[in-house]
Amino acid sequence: MKVPVSLKILALTVATTGFYTMVGQLVPQKEVHPPKETAFKKEMTSDELVKAGKEVAEGKGLCSTCHTIGKSGALRFPDLDGIGARAATRRPGLSALDYLAESIYDPNLFIVSGFNPGMPVINKPPIGLTDPEILAVMAYLQSLGGQVTVTLESKVWPLGSGSGAAPPPSQD
Amino acid sequence: MKGRLNAKIAVASAVVVALSLAATVGLVRFVLSREYRAPVRSDQVETTPRVQAQQDEAEAKAKADREKPYAEETYRRFPLVGSRVAVWVLAQLHLLFAAFVLAVPIFALIIEFIGWLNGDKRYDELAHEFTKLLSVSFSLTATFGAFLLFMLVLLYPKFMNYLMHVFSPTFAPYVGLFFLEAFFLYTYYYGWGKFSAVTHLLLGLGLNIVGTAIMLIANSWLTFMTTPAGISESGAVISTWAAVHNYTWMPINIHRVIANVAFGGSVAAAYAAFKFLGAKTDEERAHYDWMGYIGNFVAICAFLPLPFAGYWLASEIYAYSQTLGLTMMGGAFSWLFIIQAVLIGNLFLAANYYLWLGMGRVQASERFQGYIKFLLILIAVCFAVWATPRSIIATVSEARAMGGGAHPQLGYLGVMSAKNTAVNILILTTFVSFLLYRRSGRTPTVAWAKLGNALQIAISLLAGGIVLFLGIYGYFVEASVRIGLSVPQVGSVLFAMIAVTVIDVLMYRNAKSLGETHWGRIHPASQYVLIFLAVTFTWLMGLMGYVRSGLRQHWHVYGVVRDTSVDAFTPTLGYATSVVSATVLLFFLLIGFVFWLASLSDHKKEPA
Repeated sequence: MKVPVSLKILALTVATTGFYTMVGQLVPQKEVHPPKETAFKKEMTSDELVKAGKEVAEGKGLCSTCHTIGKSGALRFPDLDGIGARAATRRPGLSALDYLAESIYDPNLFIVSGFNPGMPVINKPPIGLTDPEILAVMAYLQSLGGQVTVTLESKVWPLGSGSGAAPPPSQD
Repeated sequence: MKGRLNAKIAVASAVVVALSLAATVGLVRFVLSREYRAPVRSDQVETTPRVQAQQDEAEAKAKADREKPYAEETYRRFPLVGSRVAVWVLAQLHLLFAAFVLAVPIFALIIEFIGWLNGDKRYDELAHEFTKLLSVSFSLTATFGAFLLFMLVLLYPKFMNYLMHVFSPTFAPYVGLFFLEAFFLYTYYYGWGKFSAVTHLLLGLGLNIVGTAIMLIANSWLTFMTTPAGISESGAVISTWAAVHNYTWMPINIHRVIANVAFGGSVAAAYAAFKFLGAKTDEERAHYDWMGYIGNFVAICAFLPLPFAGYWLASEIYAYSQTLGLTMMGGAFSWLFIIQAVLIGNLFLAANYYLWLGMGRVQASERFQGYIKFLLILIAVCFAVWATPRSIIATVSEARAMGGGAHPQLGYLGVMSAKNTAVNILILTTFVSFLLYRRSGRTPTVAWAKLGNALQIAISLLAGGIVLFLGIYGYFVEASVRIGLSVPQVGSVLFAMIAVTVIDVLMYRNAKSLGETHWGRIHPASQYVLIFLAVTFTWLMGLMGYVRSGLRQHWHVYGVVRDTSVDAFTPTLGYATSVVSATVLLFFLLIGFVFWLASLSDHKKEPA
């Protein structure tokens, strides 16, 4: 029996789209939902704040989209492992907390050597973290190799607004 | 005869009786359902008379209606598939037809122009045949465009209100240009052979300019949604021009013009294949073989620079927001690019296969056929590298054994350094395939032919070497340096293609013919390859359209208007690819209708 050409073309079209649909099913399947809001209590222990900060960093804050933890080699953005300790040594005159605050609120003021600027301002949309969320992220970052000193009551930005913090550095 | 009539009457009578019975039962049930029945089994005494209760109810409803406050709808729900899928399918169908309608006039005009220059009527006829597919496609584009607009206004009223707030100054020019396009298109098509050649060419030029201008306006709307500009932090308009001329506007414009030509060429080639396979005479087969070859040539010529345009677009997305760029390449959509690699690998394989099959129609092409196996190996290797993911899907124990998500060896092929190298070599290999096809059946007569050949080989090897060296070098440098290496990789391939083509054109001037090209004498499999290419191009457009739009994730306008609908999540890739496939099948059903309509005008010309 001779199969009509139009039928062969139809079969080829269906088979081709079917094959690509199948390829689409073979890759990992993940639904990405809008970030959930992290609940903050009025008073939180350091551990609770670190936990909340980790949740924000991996969720709404999108930190893990760019930053890795514990990876080396050809990286696109600085690895955050040990940042809690390293933060105090990055910029002369800035404490670990000041450095983290500056990196978050004004990320392009200082760029780690070997990397390009690219960190978004995360207290504005589309990320739009609130001040408590940022404090929690800072607690989480401090916990990566350092000591957690930040609390929900800390005033970290602008620099110098909190007790004992350094004044904002000149951009010149 | 009479017996058959009686049987028909009997069947009809039975149907009428059954329908009458059903209507009677329905009517009785309707009447009974509205009949008042006393609550005979109720133990409670009805204190309110029924008439009074009904009156009270009506008054309460009237009061509620009068006092109902006006509230603007944010979303409305499309039944069954939901609003997102409804708009997605309509937008994709509109874009596919629009791409076709914009692309065909570009190469029809070029072919007509070539015919006008060399005086060969065949080119003019070919251009005319390509434009035959336009008029119905234009109507379908407009229909789907209007349908899409209605659905957007209906289903996403608040978001559309915002877009209108930003882009209202662009709407009147858009509509005006649309009328102009209709004028140019129909005059260009129906005026074939009725105007002077120059006037007709100018009409074609007008059609292309107006069509491109329409696309530029529409592109500003959709690119604004991903990379908004010209607005304040609260979304108020500061500059409409800045909103139009946002980060990704020009890269999308360039990318779309090229991609449209590639897509349009492939669909036109599929039309030729459809006609070739149904051809009755050798003359018809020869004509449609040539038409398919030209359509495919147009598609592949446009396809080769497409990855470069895509790279520019991606780099602009990164420049606008690193987060957006990384969401695209390293986040939720990273696996989509593995699917894309499969598609592009297939396109390269099929395009090369068609060229190799095409050598069969050229006498004395055997001398080049020995090279095919090497080209095939190179394509297969590059394809495999490109389709290698950075992270392998593995069980927990497998991941532990590998020391992470990336394979200890194959993981090195999953990064951009390897992928950029693979795609550049793929492009170079396809270019070599085309060069071999171009040369089959001819031999150069110029005195410097040997030198020219050596120069071509040296340039190609040098370009390949640079691409390979920079690809490997990328593993040993910092990110800030590595990102910039793609530019010299792309530059060396582009330079090689241009330089080698120029040498080839000069070298093969007045070349000696070693044998004729027998159009129509090609294996029928080649025609199915053309159809496969068209389906793959279409599917690829659907997939990349999805990532361009889906990249915004839970934002209608990234960072400005948040999506708070039930669809404010990114679906799985399996779901997305199913929607793409359904859209592609719908498109091919509709384009099949366009092909059929175009064929009807052929039948009219046949002698009685």
